[in-house]
Amino acid sequence: MTTFLRAMLLVTVSCWVVACGSDSNKKTTAVKGPDTSGKGEGRLNIVNWEGYADPSYVKLFEQQTGCKVNSVPAGTSDEMFTKFRSGGGGQYDLVSPSGDASLRLIKSGAVAPLDTSKLSHFKDLAPQLQSPAFNTVDGKNYGLSFMWGADVLIYNADVIKTPPTSWADLYSPKYKGKITVPDNPIQIADPALQFFGASNPFQIDQGTLDKVKAKLLAQRPLVRKYWVLASDFEQLFKSKDAVIGAGWPLMTNDLQKAGLNVKEVLPKEGVTGWSDSWMISAKAKHPICAYKYMNFATNPKIQAKVADVTAYSPANTKTCAVVGAARCKALHITDTKYYDTIKYWETPTAPTNYRQWTDTWAEVRG
Amino acid sequence: MGGGARLSVDGSRSLSRFLYAHPRGRLGLLLGPAVAWLLVFYVVALAILLLTSLWSQDVFTAEIVRHWNTDSYSKLFSGQNGLWLRVFGRTLLLATIVTVVDIALAFPLAWFMARVLPPRWRTLAFLAVVVPLWSSILVRIFAWRTILGGSGVLNTFLVDTGLIAHPSSAFLYNETAIVITWCNVWLPFMVLPIFTALEKIPDSTLEAARDLGASTWTMFRTVVFPLALPGVVAGAIFVFALTMGDFVAPQLVGGGSQVLGGAIKDRFGVAADYPFGAALASLTLVTLMGFLFLSRRAGALENL
Repeated sequence: MTTFLRAMLLVTVSCWVVACGSDSNKKTTAVKGPDTSGKGEGRLNIVNWEGYADPSYVKLFEQQTGCKVNSVPAGTSDEMFTKFRSGGGGQYDLVSPSGDASLRLIKSGAVAPLDTSKLSHFKDLAPQLQSPAFNTVDGKNYGLSFMWGADVLIYNADVIKTPPTSWADLYSPKYKGKITVPDNPIQIADPALQFFGASNPFQIDQGTLDKVKAKLLAQRPLVRKYWVLASDFEQLFKSKDAVIGAGWPLMTNDLQKAGLNVKEVLPKEGVTGWSDSWMISAKAKHPICAYKYMNFATNPKIQAKVADVTAYSPANTKTCAVVGAARCKALHITDTKYYDTIKYWETPTAPTNYRQWTDTWAEVRG
Repeated sequence: MGGGARLSVDGSRSLSRFLYAHPRGRLGLLLGPAVAWLLVFYVVALAILLLTSLWSQDVFTAEIVRHWNTDSYSKLFSGQNGLWLRVFGRTLLLATIVTVVDIALAFPLAWFMARVLPPRWRTLAFLAVVVPLWSSILVRIFAWRTILGGSGVLNTFLVDTGLIAHPSSAFLYNETAIVITWCNVWLPFMVLPIFTALEKIPDSTLEAARDLGASTWTMFRTVVFPLALPGVVAGAIFVFALTMGDFVAPQLVGGGSQVLGGAIKDRFGVAADYPFGAALASLTLVTLMGFLFLSRRAGALENL
């Protein structure tokens, strides 16, 4: 019996692989996903952002599907990109990249197109998130939108009584030695957007890049620590080594849960942000479990739980029915106008490319 | 059944007879697995590293393009206003400081353990030095973060005793913190070889030095230190090599300035710039080989 099941599985998987293979030749052919009503492969390997595979819902998924989840967190998009592709790319089944890594994953052939007919909540995603440019190429959906949010200005409200309104506070000597910013080259987009008028801060010329570099070099002596992981950021605030910094709503959420009087604002100069998708490896060893996880993660009930853990906004609009009108509004779930104000992470390619950004960032670090 | 058993006994006998008669075969069997391991995981891996540093890469997809060039090395030695040579120099300086400080800390401790403590206490002292190695290095580095931080043990103590008015940020997230952490976590690697070297010095040698009228300083300079030198060099090699490559401590307790280990990790993990990362890693390797070569030239490796 098990042999029979295995054979069936093999057939399913190879059909799926063949479908992908032939699909790249004929653009119009529909992608055929695995039979998700079937039993999973018993395992699932994920590279994800912190908070995207929290035990509070992963345990539930494991109980429901019998797919044992092995999740590895990444601190930056690049770390995610590198980890997911390590060992030839067959090591992980799923990845949750932001817009700056998703296109690179598609172009490098590391991820496979998705069969949207097998994605039970695809139709409930906010309209702008069903086939966004950062995960859809040539009409093929390579990613299932999951969560999105903004890079926010976070501050210790016990120390800073009047709420900051400007990103300029991160460059101000009045907080010397109390500032923390991400150790991440994509951070270059922030000053480009906020101080040098770049309408698309991910497509900047050499002149703007030089100005950003000068700005960041001037900021460097004021910075207490360039944070790598969310937990670094939280530690800095807990030990009062930092009182203001650029971070994600996840940290505000965690620190508030830990009893700290920490608040976040969206400063007037505008914000960058991210929109994350689930993507499946072109060499996924556990495609059924992977589809099951994508369906699980975009289920409104689970989206609500992920929002509780991360404070990010769910992509599925039906989540509003679970969390209620007030929270729906607070998370901007159906607010497309708000969604459009955020400049979402993209991989810089021109006029300056990503290598120039990473080199510039290395020079800022010194 | 009995026949089968006899057969296998005969088989193993003939194998041992064969091995007895062919010493080369014996050697091959004994060394084979170790050599294969070294070949696959060291020689081949190092060759790939070297090759990668001479290839280029598609910036967008991070695919390696097998196009021979020395761009990574010209970037390393002259690119970005000498940034990478500064990072290299900083790391070299930090590694030297940590090695010297660890020798200064470890020598008296090893002397006390090997020559002053009664033998029954020696094992206990030895264990006390080794025990920290059983805990994760991350835990030991995190411990320093809670000691040196803004609301850490050190600052709380200094403020409570009135020595400073406000918690100082001078202890954490800078080079000082990195040096303190490295000196602490690598100390056992320095203590153990020096301890072993000091323990081997016969009492009679020291007594002879005394009888011939040597002062404590002369005895240390002309007898103890030369005999302990192989241990000191062994410890120095461990500590120097560990320091040159580490990225964990700088990431957790360091400031903005990069060190070589962190820079290499970031080239691979953040910038996805494999050729340049490989070039940086090759520089570390060459430095360590140079260090080993100098140690050998000084004759310090002969007694290891």
